[in-house]
Amino acid sequence: MEVEISRRKFLQGTVAMSVVGATAATSLLSNEHGGGAKPGVVSFHNTKTGTGKSHDVATLCEMCVNKCAALARVENGVVTKLNPNPLFPKSKNMLCARGNAGIQALYDPDRLKYPMIRIGEKGEGKFKRVTWDEAYEAILNGTDKFPGLSKIMDEEQDNRSTMLFCAGEGMAEHTFKQFYQAFGSANWLNHASICLQTVTSGYGVTLGSYPQADLDNAEYVIMAGANRAEAIVTPDTMDIFKRTKRRGAKLICVDPRFTNTAAKSDKWLAIKPGTDLAFVLALTYVTLNENLQDNDYIKKYFNGYEEYKKSVLDNKYTPEWAEPITGIKAEDIYTIAREFAAAAPKAVYYPGRRSTFAKNDFQLRRAMAIFQALHGGIDTEGGLIFGSKLALQPHEGLQPLYEKAQARAVVKSTDGKGYDDCAVISGGGSWIAWRNRFLEGKMPYKVRGMFCYKHNPMMNMPNSAKTAEMLKKMELVVTIDTMPSDTVMYADVVLPECTYLERTDPVKTFGGVEPSIAVRNKVIDPMFETKPVMEIMKGLTTKISKPLFEISKKYDEEIQDAIEEDGEEETYAEFDLTLPFRHTQEELNHHAVAKYEGAAEQLHHHGIFYPKQDEYYKQLAINKFQYYPEKKKYYSTRGGKPKTPSGKVECNLASFASKGIDPMPVWRDEYAFSVPSGKFRLLTGRHAQFTQSGTSNNAMLRDLMPENFIWINKRVADKKGIKFADTVEVSSSVGKTQLKAYPTEKIAPDQVFFIHGFGEESEELTWAYKNGGNDNKVIEDNIEPVYGAAAMHETNVEIRKV
Amino acid sequence: MARYGMALDYKSCINCKACEVACKEENGILMGADKHRIWVGNGEIEGQYPLLDITSNAFYPSQCQHCDEAPCEEVCPTHATYYTEDGIVRVDPEKCILCSYCMNACPYDARYVDDRTVTVDKCTFCADTRLARGETTTACQNTCPTKVRIFGDLDDPNSEISEVLRTREHFSLKANLGTKPKLFYLT
Repeated sequence: MEVEISRRKFLQGTVAMSVVGATAATSLLSNEHGGGAKPGVVSFHNTKTGTGKSHDVATLCEMCVNKCAALARVENGVVTKLNPNPLFPKSKNMLCARGNAGIQALYDPDRLKYPMIRIGEKGEGKFKRVTWDEAYEAILNGTDKFPGLSKIMDEEQDNRSTMLFCAGEGMAEHTFKQFYQAFGSANWLNHASICLQTVTSGYGVTLGSYPQADLDNAEYVIMAGANRAEAIVTPDTMDIFKRTKRRGAKLICVDPRFTNTAAKSDKWLAIKPGTDLAFVLALTYVTLNENLQDNDYIKKYFNGYEEYKKSVLDNKYTPEWAEPITGIKAEDIYTIAREFAAAAPKAVYYPGRRSTFAKNDFQLRRAMAIFQALHGGIDTEGGLIFGSKLALQPHEGLQPLYEKAQARAVVKSTDGKGYDDCAVISGGGSWIAWRNRFLEGKMPYKVRGMFCYKHNPMMNMPNSAKTAEMLKKMELVVTIDTMPSDTVMYADVVLPECTYLERTDPVKTFGGVEPSIAVRNKVIDPMFETKPVMEIMKGLTTKISKPLFEISKKYDEEIQDAIEEDGEEETYAEFDLTLPFRHTQEELNHHAVAKYEGAAEQLHHHGIFYPKQDEYYKQLAINKFQYYPEKKKYYSTRGGKPKTPSGKVECNLASFASKGIDPMPVWRDEYAFSVPSGKFRLLTGRHAQFTQSGTSNNAMLRDLMPENFIWINKRVADKKGIKFADTVEVSSSVGKTQLKAYPTEKIAPDQVFFIHGFGEESEELTWAYKNGGNDNKVIEDNIEPVYGAAAMHETNVEIRKV
Repeated sequence: MARYGMALDYKSCINCKACEVACKEENGILMGADKHRIWVGNGEIEGQYPLLDITSNAFYPSQCQHCDEAPCEEVCPTHATYYTEDGIVRVDPEKCILCSYCMNACPYDARYVDDRTVTVDKCTFCADTRLARGETTTACQNTCPTKVRIFGDLDDPNSEISEVLRTREHFSLKANLGTKPKLFYLT
């Protein structure tokens, strides 16, 4: 990236803005002499806290999706420490390694600092610094390198769907989504199809909601394909691990790898990848065959129970049947089903929250939900819970209808039952299917540009080579981000957002056993020329709203008629894109909680609010807090009744059968696990010190784990002559990547594993650049058949020592 | 005067390293794998996949044990290592000559060299930062997700740590050496 400001100048800026009063001079100076590229020179913002004057600002962490409550300690305008905020029932006075390292995200010298427009070739990373107005102008009218919205919209005759909008998860995603809605495109893609689409939907169609687990009271927990010791979720991680090792909860861990969760479990079952469905069906068989189910619950709240029972028993999903498929001993399956039933309803088959790994994941989630419900552990203490939620007052948005805007760019299947690549199109869409359709020229109309907010498609989805091709083909790519990610390198216009510690975000309500409302308050003013996305949207819409309306006037007959009838001013009011961004975030937040007395004030000063907080909240011991008295907790809000439209657990979904999807969870032979000799199944996953690619450039986290290593079975590694830290090449049919080896017995001989998020190729990321291996260069673009979610554990790879 | 100590419910530790980062951010510790005041230790798993010994993979949060009979203090030729009135073992960087006797004497490998001052550094129970500000927790204790740590005054019979040590079984690391650590591992 060619920029007009040198690193030295940047640092002068940083020093002036952020180092007053901190003992940070030495480490920052090391940057000034060429930065972190020098071996042994460590660039980070060293923030020893002082004992002088300071103040705390209540904020919410954004280092991952959990939104744990934090108190930022500010000394002389510098954030010197992030501490947990004890007031939040969700995070209960904890902040993990990433939460503590948020300071390094704020003071990362590699941050995007000012708007830029592309001057080199697409993907080359050559930009020039511009003013905000120049950046908005380029989006509207283009440059000699790329077309602007005016040209594209005019040529596409006001088909607003010619622009794709995509976003990563976050509290301000809402703000960006309002821009998408006002703009009038039908093409929205978010993280769901490369994240938890199948689990939320599987539970959604079966129980009517994606429930939480009451791990604080459960006596028996099966955690299968979820790794809460490393993929931290609050309060689940805290609740479960305080109670394992015979201290209240028995934990069964089912995972192909020996994870940190396995290390804390009472029993670890090494399952073959992608066969969890057979495991659950066999558990269900034992329950039904031995009459261990909760008949009262089933009588009241089940639809299709008899059909499902018949299916499971007739198909003979016995533990003996499951043993060769899963690799789990039949005897263990009998024991677990019986123990689970004995502990029910205080027994949890943990729903989990992760990417789709296998093509049968939707059916797996349905089978898990039904197994849980068979034992009555729904909407009850120690089981799965729906909880309660404090309502927020919505605010005015804008969703105009444009006559020429086409429907979402999907293609119906020839049999008319579903779509060409999956059965159902969810709100977040299927990223992979959409990308591939775009590349293969199968779009029903031209999509020519995209807005990308806090999202890194280059790193986040399988087959990076195809994503790069897509970004190159897009004529106008606008990215809004905090870091010069691999995706930002393909942008035409780069709009720098401030980090989470520099902005107030939309207030959010957190449902559960102990519901509360929480807010992310701005800790310090945005550094450099960065802005919160709210202000970016305001500036951008002010620039483009009127000119785009002029194009609509040209092609949209309904608008022409409306103008004739009501006059231009009145008509434009319904198409004025600036409307959702007229108020400040603080004003909107105030409005959202107006009905709760004192809430706005409480949120501003303390970050967390719920009714009777003053009366209920107590610190009981050094590490123990009461948020609600036991009797006031919302363990059960519906007497066990599922949230489906029928109010019943749905075992047999006829509507899915008509789309070619199994209406009840059944096992199919093609789900079986097998790896050709000489190859390995590639597994990917999470880590307690990194959040995907979002934290890969964080100096403090990198200090804990400098790069990712590939796990390979020790005996296999010995045979192949691979020793610890040897570099190996991992290759598949779509690409290859290199990283160092970690021979271990924690993984099976026919599998390998490394964590996701490493190996970025943006040269502007001092620490992340070509650091470790990138799983998405190797993972093939398989999708599951229901929602088109990426199936990430279906790629076989070869390993070669280099 | 207090006599500070720490009890560790180590079986709850998930090796997430929140404590390590909290310590570095609070106390301004240098980067680098060898620049840790506190850490979580664990051994490589025993057995062959899938027959692994779960107990072999336990996590042990560790750090300076703030011994009542500290070998590091005994060997220091310049009296740079000393006990504070609160029972915390400290290093005075003005007196430290980096002879490294203390580093060799410490049975817990709890000391390292701070390259900025070129002296030996170690855990201070956040004495200069949090305790000096009047706070009653260390950074590691406060931030821990699974609430492993209880910090407090061992001389106060009403303190939570005293109560916990009265009512729960616990052990010290390398107790046979007679160093009398003030870190207690709860079983």
